[in-house]
Amino acid sequence: MRWMIRVRIPQKKKELEIPGPRRVMDILAQAGVRPTTVIVTQGKKLLTKDHRVEDGETIDVISVVSGG
Amino acid sequence: MKCKRCRRAEAAVDLPSHHSAFCPDCFFVFFQRQVKEGIRRFRLLSPSDRVLVCVSGGKDSLVLWDVLMTLGYETEGLYIDLGIEGYSERSKEKVLAYAAARGKSPIVVDLAKEGIPIPEASRCARMEECSVCGTVKRYFFNRVAAEGKFTVVATGHNLDDEAARLLGNLLHWHRDHLSRQHPFLPDAGEGLVRKVKPLWRVSELETASYGFLKGIDYITEECPMSEDATSLVYKEALSLIEDQMPGTRTVFYQGFLDPENPLRKGPEERYWRSAGAVEEGEAAEGAGDPRACASCGAPTYADVCSFCRLRERVRQRRERRAGGAS
Repeated sequence: MRWMIRVRIPQKKKELEIPGPRRVMDILAQAGVRPTTVIVTQGKKLLTKDHRVEDGETIDVISVVSGG
Repeated sequence: MKCKRCRRAEAAVDLPSHHSAFCPDCFFVFFQRQVKEGIRRFRLLSPSDRVLVCVSGGKDSLVLWDVLMTLGYETEGLYIDLGIEGYSERSKEKVLAYAAARGKSPIVVDLAKEGIPIPEASRCARMEECSVCGTVKRYFFNRVAAEGKFTVVATGHNLDDEAARLLGNLLHWHRDHLSRQHPFLPDAGEGLVRKVKPLWRVSELETASYGFLKGIDYITEECPMSEDATSLVYKEALSLIEDQMPGTRTVFYQGFLDPENPLRKGPEERYWRSAGAVEEGEAAEGAGDPRACASCGAPTYADVCSFCRLRERVRQRRERRAGGAS
Protein backbone atom coordinates (compact mmCIF):
# COMPACT_ATOMS: atom_id res chain seq x y z
CA MET A 1 0.00 0.00 0.00
CA ARG A 2 1.32 3.44 -0.94
CA TRP A 3 1.77 6.15 1.72
CA MET A 4 -0.23 9.29 1.04
CA ILE A 5 -0.58 12.77 2.54
CA ARG A 6 -3.39 12.80 5.09
CA VAL A 7 -5.39 16.05 5.01
CA ARG A 8 -7.75 16.69 7.91
CA ILE A 9 -10.41 19.42 7.68
CA PRO A 10 -11.96 19.23 11.15
CA GLN A 11 -14.60 21.95 10.79
CA LYS A 12 -16.03 20.14 7.75
CA LYS A 13 -15.54 16.77 9.47
CA LYS A 14 -13.69 15.71 6.34
CA GLU A 15 -10.48 13.79 5.74
CA LEU A 16 -8.68 13.28 2.43
CA GLU A 17 -5.70 11.29 1.23
CA ILE A 18 -3.67 12.90 -1.51
CA PRO A 19 -0.52 11.53 -3.19
CA GLY A 20 2.64 13.48 -2.39
CA PRO A 21 4.97 15.18 -2.41
CA ARG A 22 2.88 18.29 -2.96
CA ARG A 23 2.89 21.96 -2.00
CA VAL A 24 0.28 23.20 0.49
CA MET A 25 -1.28 25.49 -2.14
CA ASP A 26 -1.73 22.54 -4.51
CA ILE A 27 -3.27 20.42 -1.76
CA LEU A 28 -5.72 23.23 -0.99
CA ALA A 29 -6.62 23.58 -4.67
CA GLN A 30 -7.28 19.85 -4.88
CA ALA A 31 -9.40 20.01 -1.71
CA GLY A 32 -11.35 22.96 -3.12
CA VAL A 33 -10.29 25.32 -0.33
CA ARG A 34 -9.38 28.97 -0.95
CA PRO A 35 -5.96 29.78 0.56
CA THR A 36 -6.96 33.06 2.21
CA THR A 37 -9.71 31.34 4.21
CA VAL A 38 -7.56 28.84 6.12
CA ILE A 39 -4.39 28.27 8.07
CA VAL A 40 -2.58 24.97 7.54
CA THR A 41 -0.87 23.36 10.49
CA GLN A 42 1.28 20.33 11.18
CA GLY A 43 1.48 19.62 14.89
CA LYS A 44 2.67 22.89 16.45
CA LYS A 45 3.96 24.24 13.13
CA LEU A 46 2.19 26.67 10.86
CA LEU A 47 2.89 25.95 7.19
CA THR A 48 3.31 28.51 4.41
CA LYS A 49 1.43 27.89 1.19
CA ASP A 50 4.60 26.92 -0.69
CA HIS A 51 5.67 24.36 1.92
CA ARG A 52 6.20 20.89 0.43
CA VAL A 53 4.37 18.08 2.21
CA GLU A 54 5.71 14.55 1.87
CA ASP A 55 3.90 11.24 1.65
CA GLY A 56 3.07 9.83 5.08
CA GLU A 57 2.67 13.28 6.66
CA THR A 58 -0.55 14.66 8.15
CA ILE A 59 -1.70 18.25 7.92
CA ASP A 60 -4.72 20.08 9.37
CA VAL A 61 -6.65 22.70 7.44
CA ILE A 62 -8.35 25.13 9.85
CA SER A 63 -10.94 27.62 8.61
CA VAL A 64 -10.38 31.19 9.80
CA VAL A 65 -13.76 32.52 8.67
CA SER A 66 -16.19 33.49 11.39
CA GLY A 67 -19.74 34.64 10.77
CA GLY A 68 -22.43 36.57 12.58
CA MET B 1 10.64 30.34 2.18
CA LYS B 2 12.76 32.59 4.42
CA CYS B 3 11.37 35.31 6.68
CA LYS B 4 11.41 38.60 4.76
CA ARG B 5 12.19 40.56 7.93
CA CYS B 6 15.07 38.76 9.66
CA ARG B 7 16.09 36.82 6.49
CA ARG B 8 17.37 33.98 8.66
CA ALA B 9 14.54 31.88 10.05
CA GLU B 10 12.08 29.83 8.04
CA ALA B 11 8.81 31.70 7.36
CA ALA B 12 5.65 30.41 9.04
CA VAL B 13 3.14 32.98 7.76
CA ASP B 14 3.01 34.20 4.17
CA LEU B 15 1.02 37.35 3.53
CA PRO B 16 0.64 38.08 -0.19
CA SER B 17 -1.44 41.16 0.66
CA HIS B 18 1.68 42.65 2.30
CA HIS B 19 4.15 41.09 -0.21
CA SER B 20 5.72 39.49 2.82
CA ALA B 21 6.36 36.35 4.86
CA PHE B 22 7.41 36.12 8.49
CA CYS B 23 8.91 33.68 10.96
CA PRO B 24 6.90 33.44 14.23
CA ASP B 25 8.95 36.04 16.15
CA CYS B 26 8.92 38.57 13.31
CA PHE B 27 5.21 37.93 12.73
CA PHE B 28 4.48 38.87 16.36
CA VAL B 29 6.33 42.16 15.81
CA PHE B 30 4.44 42.79 12.54
CA PHE B 31 1.04 41.96 14.06
CA GLN B 32 1.50 44.08 17.17
CA ARG B 33 2.66 46.99 15.02
CA GLN B 34 -0.47 46.69 12.90
CA VAL B 35 -2.68 46.82 15.99
CA LYS B 36 -0.71 49.73 17.44
CA GLU B 37 -1.04 51.63 14.18
CA GLY B 38 -4.77 50.91 14.12
CA ILE B 39 -5.10 52.31 17.63
CA ARG B 40 -2.93 55.35 16.86
CA ARG B 41 -4.67 56.25 13.57
CA PHE B 42 -8.02 56.98 15.21
CA ARG B 43 -6.86 57.42 18.82
CA LEU B 44 -8.92 54.39 19.83
CA LEU B 45 -7.27 54.00 23.23
CA SER B 46 -5.16 56.00 25.63
CA PRO B 47 -2.78 54.60 28.27
CA SER B 48 -5.14 55.72 31.06
CA ASP B 49 -8.11 53.77 29.69
CA ARG B 50 -9.77 50.92 31.54
CA VAL B 51 -10.66 48.59 28.68
CA LEU B 52 -13.55 46.12 28.78
CA VAL B 53 -12.65 43.46 26.20
CA CYS B 54 -15.63 41.47 24.92
CA VAL B 55 -14.49 37.86 24.57
CA SER B 56 -16.48 35.07 22.93
CA GLY B 57 -13.90 32.28 23.05
CA GLY B 58 -13.18 32.72 19.35
CA LYS B 59 -9.80 33.63 17.89
CA ASP B 60 -10.37 37.34 17.30
CA SER B 61 -11.53 38.34 20.76
CA LEU B 62 -8.96 36.23 22.61
CA VAL B 63 -6.17 37.53 20.37
CA LEU B 64 -7.41 41.08 20.96
CA TRP B 65 -7.28 40.58 24.74
CA ASP B 66 -3.82 39.03 24.42
CA VAL B 67 -2.41 41.86 22.31
CA LEU B 68 -3.90 44.61 24.46
CA MET B 69 -2.35 43.02 27.56
CA THR B 70 0.98 42.70 25.73
CA LEU B 71 0.78 46.38 24.76
CA GLY B 72 0.30 47.28 28.42
CA TYR B 73 -3.37 48.31 28.56
CA GLU B 74 -5.44 47.77 31.69
CA THR B 75 -8.02 45.22 30.60
CA GLU B 76 -10.80 43.01 31.89
CA GLY B 77 -12.66 40.40 29.87
CA LEU B 78 -16.44 40.24 29.50
CA TYR B 79 -17.96 36.92 28.46
CA ILE B 80 -21.67 36.75 27.62
CA ASP B 81 -23.08 33.22 27.86
CA LEU B 82 -25.62 33.23 25.03
CA GLY B 83 -27.42 30.10 26.25
CA ILE B 84 -26.76 28.13 23.05
CA GLU B 85 -26.74 24.47 24.05
CA GLY B 86 -23.28 22.91 23.85
CA TYR B 87 -21.63 25.75 21.96
CA SER B 88 -21.91 28.22 24.86
CA GLU B 89 -20.43 25.76 27.37
CA ARG B 90 -17.49 24.99 25.09
CA SER B 91 -16.75 28.62 24.28
CA LYS B 92 -17.01 29.61 27.94
CA GLU B 93 -14.48 26.91 28.86
CA LYS B 94 -12.02 28.41 26.36
CA VAL B 95 -12.42 31.90 27.82
CA LEU B 96 -12.09 30.77 31.42
CA ALA B 97 -9.03 28.61 30.65
CA TYR B 98 -7.36 31.45 28.75
CA ALA B 99 -8.07 33.94 31.54
CA ALA B 100 -7.00 31.58 34.34
CA ALA B 101 -3.65 30.94 32.66
CA ARG B 102 -3.03 34.71 32.79
CA GLY B 103 -4.29 35.27 36.31
CA LYS B 104 -7.49 36.94 35.09
CA SER B 105 -11.08 36.36 36.06
CA PRO B 106 -13.50 37.57 33.38
CA ILE B 107 -16.88 39.11 34.10
CA VAL B 108 -19.55 36.57 33.05
CA VAL B 109 -23.12 37.47 32.10
CA ASP B 110 -25.44 34.45 31.84
CA LEU B 111 -28.36 35.22 29.53
CA ALA B 112 -30.35 32.21 30.79
CA LYS B 113 -30.21 33.72 34.28
CA GLU B 114 -31.12 37.11 32.83
CA GLY B 115 -34.23 35.45 31.33
CA ILE B 116 -33.22 36.04 27.73
CA PRO B 117 -31.18 33.19 26.21
CA ILE B 118 -30.65 33.87 22.49
CA PRO B 119 -32.38 30.81 20.93
CA GLU B 120 -35.56 31.30 22.95
CA ALA B 121 -35.51 35.08 22.62
CA SER B 122 -35.17 34.74 18.86
CA ARG B 123 -38.13 32.34 18.64
CA CYS B 124 -40.31 34.46 20.91
CA ALA B 125 -39.50 37.75 19.20
CA ARG B 126 -39.60 36.17 15.73
CA MET B 127 -36.32 37.86 14.93
CA GLU B 128 -33.10 36.46 13.46
CA GLU B 129 -30.72 35.11 16.08
CA CYS B 130 -27.84 37.39 15.04
CA SER B 131 -30.08 40.44 15.30
CA VAL B 132 -31.30 39.48 18.79
CA CYS B 133 -27.73 38.66 19.80
CA GLY B 134 -26.54 42.11 18.66
CA THR B 135 -29.22 43.92 20.65
CA VAL B 136 -28.56 41.92 23.81
CA LYS B 137 -24.77 42.21 23.56
CA ARG B 138 -24.85 45.98 23.04
CA TYR B 139 -27.05 46.36 26.09
CA PHE B 140 -24.69 44.40 28.34
CA PHE B 141 -21.56 46.04 26.89
CA ASN B 142 -22.92 49.40 28.03
CA ARG B 143 -24.33 48.15 31.32
CA VAL B 144 -21.22 46.25 32.44
CA ALA B 145 -18.96 49.10 31.32
CA ALA B 146 -21.01 51.62 33.33
CA GLU B 147 -21.20 49.40 36.41
CA GLY B 148 -17.48 48.60 36.32
CA LYS B 149 -16.41 52.17 35.48
CA PHE B 150 -14.70 51.10 32.27
CA THR B 151 -13.86 53.95 29.92
CA VAL B 152 -14.05 51.96 26.70
CA VAL B 153 -15.41 48.71 25.26
CA ALA B 154 -13.20 46.85 22.76
CA THR B 155 -14.46 44.17 20.37
CA GLY B 156 -12.50 41.78 18.14
CA HIS B 157 -13.92 42.86 14.77
CA ASN B 158 -11.19 42.47 12.17
CA LEU B 159 -10.53 43.68 8.64
CA ASP B 160 -12.57 40.85 7.07
CA ASP B 161 -15.56 41.57 9.32
CA GLU B 162 -15.50 45.26 8.54
CA ALA B 163 -14.89 44.84 4.81
CA ALA B 164 -17.78 42.32 4.62
CA ARG B 165 -20.05 44.72 6.49
CA LEU B 166 -19.00 47.55 4.19
CA LEU B 167 -19.75 45.46 1.10
CA GLY B 168 -23.20 44.58 2.48
CA ASN B 169 -23.95 48.21 3.32
CA LEU B 170 -22.83 49.33 -0.14
CA LEU B 171 -24.75 46.64 -2.02
CA HIS B 172 -27.94 47.71 -0.27
CA TRP B 173 -27.05 51.41 -0.15
CA HIS B 174 -27.56 51.60 3.60
CA ARG B 175 -26.36 55.19 3.71
CA ASP B 176 -27.21 55.63 7.39
CA HIS B 177 -25.25 52.48 8.29
CA LEU B 178 -22.33 53.55 6.10
CA SER B 179 -22.08 56.85 7.88
CA ARG B 180 -21.76 55.10 11.24
CA GLN B 181 -19.40 52.28 10.25
CA HIS B 182 -16.09 53.06 11.89
CA PRO B 183 -13.52 51.46 14.26
CA PHE B 184 -14.20 54.31 16.71
CA LEU B 185 -17.64 55.12 18.09
CA PRO B 186 -17.29 57.96 20.58
CA ASP B 187 -18.77 58.14 24.05
CA ALA B 188 -22.24 59.68 23.72
CA GLY B 189 -22.66 60.25 27.45
CA GLU B 190 -25.54 58.96 29.56
CA GLY B 191 -23.88 55.53 29.84
CA LEU B 192 -23.26 55.00 26.12
CA VAL B 193 -19.59 54.18 26.41
CA ARG B 194 -16.97 54.56 23.67
CA LYS B 195 -16.61 51.45 21.50
CA VAL B 196 -13.51 50.56 19.54
CA LYS B 197 -12.29 47.85 17.15
CA PRO B 198 -8.49 47.74 17.50
CA LEU B 199 -8.09 44.80 15.05
CA TRP B 200 -9.54 46.72 12.09
CA ARG B 201 -6.22 46.57 10.20
CA VAL B 202 -5.58 42.82 10.54
CA SER B 203 -7.23 40.01 8.61
CA GLU B 204 -8.86 36.86 9.97
CA LEU B 205 -5.97 34.85 8.62
CA GLU B 206 -3.56 37.03 10.57
CA THR B 207 -5.49 36.77 13.85
CA ALA B 208 -5.82 32.99 13.42
CA SER B 209 -2.08 32.72 12.72
CA TYR B 210 -1.25 34.89 15.72
CA GLY B 211 -3.53 32.85 17.98
CA PHE B 212 -2.09 29.56 16.77
CA LEU B 213 1.54 30.65 17.10
CA LYS B 214 0.91 32.13 20.57
CA GLY B 215 -0.68 28.86 21.67
CA ILE B 216 -4.05 30.46 22.36
CA ASP B 217 -6.62 27.68 22.57
CA TYR B 218 -9.66 29.24 20.90
CA ILE B 219 -12.92 27.66 19.80
CA THR B 220 -12.72 26.76 16.10
CA GLU B 221 -16.31 25.65 15.64
CA GLU B 222 -18.65 28.25 14.27
CA CYS B 223 -21.65 29.54 16.23
CA PRO B 224 -24.53 27.28 15.09
CA MET B 225 -26.81 30.31 14.96
CA SER B 226 -24.65 32.06 12.36
CA GLU B 227 -24.64 29.33 9.70
CA ASP B 228 -26.88 31.37 7.40
CA ALA B 229 -25.40 34.76 8.29
CA THR B 230 -25.31 37.04 5.26
CA SER B 231 -21.88 38.30 6.34
CA LEU B 232 -20.50 34.89 5.32
CA VAL B 233 -21.71 35.47 1.73
CA TYR B 234 -19.94 38.83 1.61
CA LYS B 235 -16.79 37.31 3.10
CA GLU B 236 -16.86 34.56 0.48
CA ALA B 237 -17.15 37.13 -2.31
CA LEU B 238 -14.29 39.20 -0.90
CA SER B 239 -12.02 36.18 -0.41
CA LEU B 240 -12.58 35.22 -4.06
CA ILE B 241 -11.32 38.67 -5.06
CA GLU B 242 -8.53 38.64 -2.44
CA ASP B 243 -7.14 35.34 -3.76
CA GLN B 244 -6.83 36.82 -7.25
CA MET B 245 -5.83 40.34 -6.20
CA PRO B 246 -4.10 40.28 -2.79
CA GLY B 247 -4.51 43.48 -0.79
CA THR B 248 -7.85 44.47 -2.34
CA ARG B 249 -9.73 44.02 0.92
CA THR B 250 -7.35 46.40 2.71
CA VAL B 251 -7.62 49.04 -0.02
CA PHE B 252 -11.41 48.67 -0.01
CA TYR B 253 -11.85 49.24 3.74
CA GLN B 254 -9.04 51.70 4.34
CA GLY B 255 -10.21 53.75 1.35
CA PHE B 256 -13.66 53.89 2.90
CA LEU B 257 -12.20 55.24 6.16
CA ASP B 258 -10.32 58.00 4.34
CA PRO B 259 -11.69 61.29 5.74
CA GLU B 260 -11.83 62.61 2.18
CA ASN B 261 -14.15 59.81 1.09
CA PRO B 262 -17.39 61.49 -0.06
CA LEU B 263 -19.41 58.65 1.51
CA ARG B 264 -18.18 59.81 4.90
CA LYS B 265 -19.09 63.45 4.31
CA GLY B 266 -22.33 65.37 4.15
CA PRO B 267 -25.35 65.14 6.45
CA GLU B 268 -24.62 61.55 7.44
CA GLU B 269 -21.16 62.42 8.67
CA ARG B 270 -22.59 65.23 10.79
CA TYR B 271 -25.24 62.86 12.06
CA TRP B 272 -22.60 60.28 12.92
CA ARG B 273 -20.63 62.85 14.87
CA SER B 274 -23.66 64.02 16.82
CA ALA B 275 -25.10 60.58 17.40
CA GLY B 276 -21.92 59.41 19.09
CA ALA B 277 -21.97 55.80 20.13
CA VAL B 278 -25.11 54.93 18.20
CA GLU B 279 -24.65 51.71 16.29
CA GLU B 280 -26.59 50.13 13.47
CA GLY B 281 -29.01 48.30 15.72
CA GLU B 282 -29.91 51.41 17.66
CA ALA B 283 -29.76 53.77 14.71
CA ALA B 284 -33.31 53.34 13.47
CA GLU B 285 -34.66 54.45 16.79
CA GLY B 286 -34.03 58.13 16.33
CA ALA B 287 -31.34 60.71 16.70
CA GLY B 288 -30.87 63.47 19.23
CA ASP B 289 -29.55 63.04 22.73
CA PRO B 290 -29.74 59.71 24.54
CA ARG B 291 -32.16 59.51 27.44
CA ALA B 292 -32.92 56.98 30.17
CA CYS B 293 -35.06 53.97 29.24
CA ALA B 294 -38.43 54.25 30.99
CA SER B 295 -38.16 50.62 32.02
CA CYS B 296 -34.53 49.96 33.03
CA GLY B 297 -32.88 53.37 32.98
CA ALA B 298 -30.30 52.35 30.40
CA PRO B 299 -29.39 54.94 27.75
CA THR B 300 -31.59 54.84 24.66
CA TYR B 301 -32.83 57.00 21.81
CA ALA B 302 -36.40 55.71 22.23
CA ASP B 303 -38.75 55.81 25.23
CA VAL B 304 -38.03 52.18 26.07
CA CYS B 305 -34.72 50.62 25.02
CA SER B 306 -34.62 47.84 22.41
CA PHE B 307 -33.39 45.35 25.03
CA CYS B 308 -36.37 45.97 27.34
CA ARG B 309 -38.79 45.75 24.42
CA LEU B 310 -37.23 42.43 23.45
CA ARG B 311 -37.35 41.11 27.00
CA GLU B 312 -41.00 42.12 27.28
CA ARG B 313 -41.86 40.22 24.09
CA VAL B 314 -40.13 37.13 25.46
CA ARG B 315 -41.99 37.47 28.76
CA GLN B 316 -45.38 37.88 27.05
CA ARG B 317 -44.79 34.88 24.79
CA ARG B 318 -43.81 32.77 27.81
CA GLU B 319 -46.97 33.81 29.64
CA ARG B 320 -49.14 32.97 26.62
CA ARG B 321 -47.48 29.59 26.34
CA ALA B 322 -47.91 28.92 30.06
CA GLY B 323 -51.58 30.00 29.82
CA GLY B 324 -52.15 27.74 26.81
CA ALA B 325 -50.56 24.80 28.57
CA SER B 326 -52.63 25.13 31.76
